[in-house]
Amino acid sequence: MNILRQIEIVSLINFRSLKLRLWRSLVIVVGMTCVSGVLLSMLSLTEGMHKAFLDTGDPGRALVVSAGSQSEGNSAISRDKIRFILDAPGIAKAPDGSPLADPGINSGVPVTRLNGIKASSILRGFGPKGIMLRPEFHLVSGRLFRAGTRELIVGVNAKTQFQGMNVGDKVILPDGEWPIVGSFTTGDLLDGQLIGDTETVMKAIRRPAYNSVLVRLASPAAFPAFKAALTTNPALAVDPILQSDWYKKISEGQTTFFNVIAYGIGIVMAVGALFGCLNTMYAAVAARGREIATLRAIGYGAFAVAVSVILEAAALAVAGALIGAAFAWTLYNGTEGAFGSNVFKLTVSPLLIGMAVLWAVAVALLGGLLPSIRAARRPVVEALRAT
Amino acid sequence: MRYLPLIWTAVMRKPMRTLLTLLSVAVAFILFGLMFGLNASFDIVVARARADRIFTGARFGNGNGGGIPIAVAHQIAAMPGVKVVTAVNFLPGYVQDSKYSVFLVMLDENARKVVEDWPIPAEVWNALHKDRTGIVMSKIQAARWHKKVGDTFTMISRAVKRADGSNTWTFKILAIGDDLPEQSNGYVLGNYDYIDKAKPLADQGKISEVDLLANDPATATELAQRIDQAFANSATPLNTTTDKMARSSKDFNGLDIKAITRGIALAGMFMVLFLTGNGIAESVRERFAEFATLKTIGFSDRAVTALVVLEAALPCILGAALGVGIAAIMAHQLPGLMPPGFGLPPPTVSPVLMLWAAASAFVVALLSAALPILRLTRMDIASALSGRA
Repeated sequence: MNILRQIEIVSLINFRSLKLRLWRSLVIVVGMTCVSGVLLSMLSLTEGMHKAFLDTGDPGRALVVSAGSQSEGNSAISRDKIRFILDAPGIAKAPDGSPLADPGINSGVPVTRLNGIKASSILRGFGPKGIMLRPEFHLVSGRLFRAGTRELIVGVNAKTQFQGMNVGDKVILPDGEWPIVGSFTTGDLLDGQLIGDTETVMKAIRRPAYNSVLVRLASPAAFPAFKAALTTNPALAVDPILQSDWYKKISEGQTTFFNVIAYGIGIVMAVGALFGCLNTMYAAVAARGREIATLRAIGYGAFAVAVSVILEAAALAVAGALIGAAFAWTLYNGTEGAFGSNVFKLTVSPLLIGMAVLWAVAVALLGGLLPSIRAARRPVVEALRAT
Repeated sequence: MRYLPLIWTAVMRKPMRTLLTLLSVAVAFILFGLMFGLNASFDIVVARARADRIFTGARFGNGNGGGIPIAVAHQIAAMPGVKVVTAVNFLPGYVQDSKYSVFLVMLDENARKVVEDWPIPAEVWNALHKDRTGIVMSKIQAARWHKKVGDTFTMISRAVKRADGSNTWTFKILAIGDDLPEQSNGYVLGNYDYIDKAKPLADQGKISEVDLLANDPATATELAQRIDQAFANSATPLNTTTDKMARSSKDFNGLDIKAITRGIALAGMFMVLFLTGNGIAESVRERFAEFATLKTIGFSDRAVTALVVLEAALPCILGAALGVGIAAIMAHQLPGLMPPGFGLPPPTVSPVLMLWAAASAFVVALLSAALPILRLTRMDIASALSGRA
């Protein structure tokens, strides 16, 4: 009988007798459920945030920030530089022949969460091309702000997270309150933010310089020429970057630390589950000592027995991981969350679930290995005699 | 005490099982210690936060280097319900390289009244206001920059220029202060008057923040709202919050830290509950006949119950002690691993937390032993002895 067939038969015997060892087996299942449930619940936050950042970035657009800027808020591009940036090659043209580009403003704006705690969101300025640059922008209710007027529009998620963010509400800005005249959706991070007319916002918050310039590239291949034109001009001192790369960088900066905490906690819990797995599998092997010895006596190989022990552990652990993932998915996937000034939907992606399954397999391998070796090595005669 | 050998034999019957259970429990209690320790740290910060203290800063602009006219502080001081007001200037910057960031808080004479709970003696305050280039560093900051009293501290600020246009600020360290739970990064305090006069004329008289005490803690929230309203239509609208509100543990960057830490700790407890429950159930099942013998020779149900509970409790309590001990050691190491400015305080593993851990371990043991005990008290001794149960 070949080795695969042996493994199959021994494993089948194992699985059929699982219900005799139900409670003991549940230790592995519950252990892995807890590990995967906690890990995926925590990672759903960073995964959702990361996804929102990636959604916000469009590889067809490029962002220009001042050299070395780590955020749009810290970047400053003075008015005299704008002309040079708009004249650079590689920018798509609007129907009227002007470059499809928009110098923008980006400021923190104090808001109050629904629970009464003070927080901060982002107030953006859109210029005349702001909407043309963003085909993902749709007005949901009310109307657009008028250029030159002290009015704002609000993203659809802002009002579910912050107080006073409905059409008709007023937002405090220097020298008076601005009414919210409409609400919009872009399907990305902007949904948690406020937008007004760039020049009017700049005047209100006393900003002499723009924060950044967003341009639509004529084609993805146009970026190198655009970048070269800006970076070779020493008077500009700006960093052009694909908008998608920019948000990837920002996302990494904001999610890395929380990810480290989540994985740290996940690893500690997995170690706990691992001890549980070892315990269970040692007991399982001991309980089936005679059965295994009988199998060995009638010619089944030690290797097949060992593999079947690991397979049993893996099946139980994977089942636990999937249950944990189901918990995390039901509780958090698609629910709206906020971290810092970002509003987004928590996400338990198939990739995360796959990772939890891999963790389960790893725990089962480590936790099943020693017991499987013991099972395979135990002298047949001794095991048969044991009571 | 005479049960001790019995329990020891039971526990050591399968040393591997006991060891693995103990390790698993220890791991769960490492999480328990860290999570509830973090909770405790937040509680300390919340408890220290004063209901009557109010911070207010500019609604727009980051306030670095000063955006609010000093007149605003005077106007606030004149508002009814205000006890004392201090004007604060921030000096953000870095040491040598922009990745080594440092944040100086420049305080005026009134500051000592507003932050009277800070561990800074009167003579240090006096020295700070007498010596214009003097600063006070907390221990964490002093350790970070390898500084001691009397040393010179030089930093560069991109946001705040001196009158001569230079960005380099040099200070002398007057004292090293004790750290504060709410300032997990430590603090550096300087002289408000010095930075104000050292700035270019156009920037003088501008401040970053106004801190104040309310006459009555009960009306502080209302006072904060009044301040916001009073300046809502001005050139510098303010963003005002009470100390209590700012330190809420229900909202750390939008996350409910307490709920998260509790959830994680409970998941860990649930995991080991299954493990220990299964372990003790197996142990009792294997020795069913032995328990029947014990009952035959006169052990009461209560004695048998005690035996089983203690057998379950031994690895739980030892594991909890081991886990919380490791958590306490880890809590000391964590601050060094956090990126500066993240603001998560290091967990506080206090004796109270250790008692809670012990109690939780005992509850886990009780719950795990419940079913086996039920079986033992209902056992039919004759059939158990004959091996038929």
